[in-house]
Amino acid sequence: MSREALQESLSAVMDNEADELELRRVLSATDDADTRATWSRYQVARAAMHKELLLPKLDIAAAVSAALADEVVPAKVKQGPWRSIGRLAVAASVTVAVLAGVRLYNQDEITGSELAAQQPAQQGLTMPQTQGPAVLAGYSESSEQATGPMANGVLQSQEGWDKRLPGYLKQHAQESALKGTETALPYARAASLENR
Amino acid sequence: MRALPLLSLLVGSCMMVPALAANSSPQANEWLNKLARAEQSQSYQGSFVYERNGSFSSHDIWHRVANGSVSERLLQLDGTAQEIVRVDGQVQCVSGDLVSGVSTPPSTAPRVLDPLKLMSWYDLSVAGKSRVAGRDAVIITLTPRDQHRYAFELHLDRQTALPLRSLMLNDKGQLLERFQMTRLDTTLPTEQAMRPSDACKPVEHAVAASPLPAVGGWRSDWLPPGFELVNSSVRSDVLRKTTVSSLMYDDGLTRFSVFLEPVKDDSGNDTRVQLGPTVAVSRYLNTPKGKVIVTVVGEIPLGTAERVALSMRAQDAQASQ
Repeated sequence: MSREALQESLSAVMDNEADELELRRVLSATDDADTRATWSRYQVARAAMHKELLLPKLDIAAAVSAALADEVVPAKVKQGPWRSIGRLAVAASVTVAVLAGVRLYNQDEITGSELAAQQPAQQGLTMPQTQGPAVLAGYSESSEQATGPMANGVLQSQEGWDKRLPGYLKQHAQESALKGTETALPYARAASLENR
Repeated sequence: MRALPLLSLLVGSCMMVPALAANSSPQANEWLNKLARAEQSQSYQGSFVYERNGSFSSHDIWHRVANGSVSERLLQLDGTAQEIVRVDGQVQCVSGDLVSGVSTPPSTAPRVLDPLKLMSWYDLSVAGKSRVAGRDAVIITLTPRDQHRYAFELHLDRQTALPLRSLMLNDKGQLLERFQMTRLDTTLPTEQAMRPSDACKPVEHAVAASPLPAVGGWRSDWLPPGFELVNSSVRSDVLRKTTVSSLMYDDGLTRFSVFLEPVKDDSGNDTRVQLGPTVAVSRYLNTPKGKVIVTVVGEIPLGTAERVALSMRAQDAQASQ
């Protein structure tokens, strides 16, 4: 490899404009003292141009290499079976914790919906905001106290929403029930719409 | 050598197809067949409860199979006495008011569960056993294969395959409705028990000669897979002086209706309501003939209903383009 090409690559790396090939070329040449000297000179020139703090003769790479050479290689830890089982146990407990969290989170939702189903007079309707506040009417047979579009489980005509809807719901339920069906479900759905 | 990966791909894809169909278990299939047969051959009487968000009711049911004819009577036990009597799938009488224009279809072919058809849209499997109304039951689950329908859990009587419990669940596993027998007796109901009360008003049957009233001018750009048009009608609303066209679609287990009604005023918002298992979505649509309100009502997820409502097109507009 030509000296010039390497120096161009060095310059490019310094300006943060090197492509991958140039970066590899520079990295593979870092063991070379000449190259490191060139790098160092370029840094000085760059620092001077940008009026930056200058610490000449600072060769971190060499210092780190020297320190690494002196380092005693730590003895390889013996990998007993208990150690890997321990790791597995940790991983498993994390998984369990995550799953339990998800389960709890979902359960919240489910209990919420079941609760709604068990309180007949509660407004059990997911509605766009315009339909007024969700009213917990409490259990009551009298129709005055119950409010909301779904009071007593029956669709009430509500201001601001479509007056046609109750009729449509009824027609759908009745047509489903009248078509010769094999189960009592469509009938039960239609009957539950009529309930007051 | 080059053909080798191609070959393995081919073999792989061949193995994929049966794997997809094998999602449904033959046992579940057999139980649903038994259920369909039981409804046509087994007499029974009993009580059941029906629960959906905001409503709970109890009912009596009498189902009599005698001399080759199947008759059924249902009566609500709490609140108003809702009643319906059917003979061979034909409604004889109902209590309460029918929406004007709603009539029983002239065709008497009763709709039966077809596991082979259902298997295309649901994964059928046997999920275990349970006990309902003092009887041993088998749990059959119908899990939807796409997001356009709800899941069902059926608990069928081990002895007769009659439905003892039916749950409808949404994609989060939340219960939308519950049908549950509380008492089941497989003896033949008496003639006396099948007799409707005075409140049960006889139903006029649509004249068989008249074809389905054509709901012209409307088509759907998109329907959830598996849903087919099973009914269509046009009724005139005397009170509001408009005509309402309706279309009903069915996938073999669940249904939805599309209502189309011209509107004059601009007032009105798009509406979305979830009523237990039933969803209602209405949207205003501008057509060359004026404003129309499209409403989708059915036991399908909200997003699907919304998409169906958005996909309705005026046929004339298409023709003129």
